Amino acid sequence: MDFAISVHNVSKKYGTLLALDKVNLKVEEGKLFALLGPNGAGKTTLLRILTTQFEPTSGEAFVLGRNVVTQGEELRELISYVPQEMSVWTDISGYENLLIYSKIYGLSAEERKNAIRDSLQLMDLTEAANRLVSTFSGGMIRKLELACAVMIKPKILFLDEPTIGLDPATRKTIWEKLKALNRESGTNVFFSTHYMDEAELYADEIGIINRGKLIKVASPDELKRSVSSDLVTVESSSEVSRSAASHLRKLRDVSCVESKGNTLEISTRSSEESLGAIVKSLLSDKVVIKRIATHKPSIDDAFLRYAGTKGSAQDTGRLSELKRIRERIRRG
Amino acid sequence: MKLNEYLRVILSMIELEIRRIMHDRTELYLRAVQPLLWLLVFGPIVGSFHSIPTGNIPYTDYIMPGVLAQSTTTVAIFFGLVIIWERESGILKKLVASPSPDFAIVAGRSMAAGTRALFQAVFIIPFAVLMGVKIFPNPLYLISALILVFFASSGFASLSILIASILKTRERFMGLGQVIILPMFFGSNALYPVNSMPPLLQLFASVNPMTYIVDALRGLLITGNISQLPLDIVIILIFDAVLISIASLNFKRIIE
Ligand SMILES: Nc1ncnc2c1ncn2[C@@H]1O[C@H](COP(=O)(O)OP(=O)(O)O)[C@@H](O)[C@H]1O
Ligand SMILES: [Mg+2]
Repeated sequence: MDFAISVHNVSKKYGTLLALDKVNLKVEEGKLFALLGPNGAGKTTLLRILTTQFEPTSGEAFVLGRNVVTQGEELRELISYVPQEMSVWTDISGYENLLIYSKIYGLSAEERKNAIRDSLQLMDLTEAANRLVSTFSGGMIRKLELACAVMIKPKILFLDEPTIGLDPATRKTIWEKLKALNRESGTNVFFSTHYMDEAELYADEIGIINRGKLIKVASPDELKRSVSSDLVTVESSSEVSRSAASHLRKLRDVSCVESKGNTLEISTRSSEESLGAIVKSLLSDKVVIKRIATHKPSIDDAFLRYAGTKGSAQDTGRLSELKRIRERIRRG
Repeated sequence: MKLNEYLRVILSMIELEIRRIMHDRTELYLRAVQPLLWLLVFGPIVGSFHSIPTGNIPYTDYIMPGVLAQSTTTVAIFFGLVIIWERESGILKKLVASPSPDFAIVAGRSMAAGTRALFQAVFIIPFAVLMGVKIFPNPLYLISALILVFFASSGFASLSILIASILKTRERFMGLGQVIILPMFFGSNALYPVNSMPPLLQLFASVNPMTYIVDALRGLLITGNISQLPLDIVIILIFDAVLISIASLNFKRIIE
């Protein structure tokens, strides 16, 4: 099996601060991989090491089989990177940004024409292309950055918090485009995010990172399944008898039953499969069911379990800095 | 990386700068005000005292190359601000992760500043002519002077990039920029001949790159005496090569 990315025991220190702590990771080719973690977890640091911006303090990392330290030059020809912060020139037009980048990357005049047209089209920027970037909205700027990144047809796209600070509708369209790109051209996408829902909806695999440690790597489904069982909550009109509860415990797949007055909380491997048996057992014990609800574990539950903290990070630090920069750009 | 790939990155950066200038020329106009004041006010007034030995050249003509050198190098010295902005946004990170080598990025951005300085010169020279400054009538000399302005400013822009990669913030940079520009201007032959200075200042002037730039420009634009020109050019090219190299070796520091 060829791995697009493989990371061995990578650590990174800034002075005394340990930003990455012996990270090990393998990502298969063609995958959409999400690095999920709160602010300060070390996501940006890992992305910047993988894009050859600086060396790890210890450990080794390979991208597309190239060592990020010794084969950086070769590797940089194959990857694209969109940093967390804004990364286009705002005092020229969107088209000119693409033009200059395509020249820096050495696309021939003919390749250039097609590549610019296609990437503008992909990101719905054809009409706005000749406007100054300083008149663009935050979402359009992000799309232009992505257009720059896909224009050179990289093997891997590294995206650092690609949808940070954008509204939900724009986030959704951006992800649909990236998904389509991944499906159609097999481009790997390696992105960081602190939005749980994004990792869950769009990634093939999620790596949970917190305080420099990569804690768990799994698919969204595996993650959710690994957390806990489904929960079925039953509310009755009167207190539920002990015998009714103990009958439930004997059902296959039910791992735990807790009764609190009129309410029962039943943990089961799969609520869909057990619901019939649960209702049948309750009815035979003459329990009057007033309300019944099922709860599937979410990626938030998974994050809480592995990282030990709530994932939905507060918008502090870097993000407010980003907002400030975007603000400044808007003002021109 | 082959030579033509370096050239490609450098030309892209120059093109970027020209496109920027085409979209917004305000900075160019604002920066032209100061040199015009030197020529319009300072030159005629100080010249009227006939106190500075300039040979038989009118004083305004004498200082015109210095004023040109000062205003174009100012453009270059403050180019670091662009780099600091690009650091605060993610542009530099993206450039560092691109296939362009650091040396090409730094040389390219420096020559972009050189290009901006050239636009400045193309502004100032006709104005000086309008004011009656007598430019030495040889188009080859004029073109050489413009090429010289380009390379000299590029060298100062690398110095500026080097400073930006050490200081990193806008505020600190602004302070230092001023501290560099004035001594360089007054400690050169821009406004008075070097041999009229006190000995210590003469020593400073002899290591001040501005002196060589002004000397070369004065020969090409005013006196037509270019006996010193080869030395001036060698010094300017060494200055460029050294600064671009140091700045590119140091370049990754800026994004740390
Ligand atoms: N250039 C830097 N110098 C010093 N410390 C840094 C630098 N970049 C990041 N850090 C610190 O390293 C830790 C990880 O940061 P980062 O990789 O940016 O996290 P994330 O992208 O997950 O928010 C944080 O504590 C941050 O403050
Ligand atoms: Mg980050």
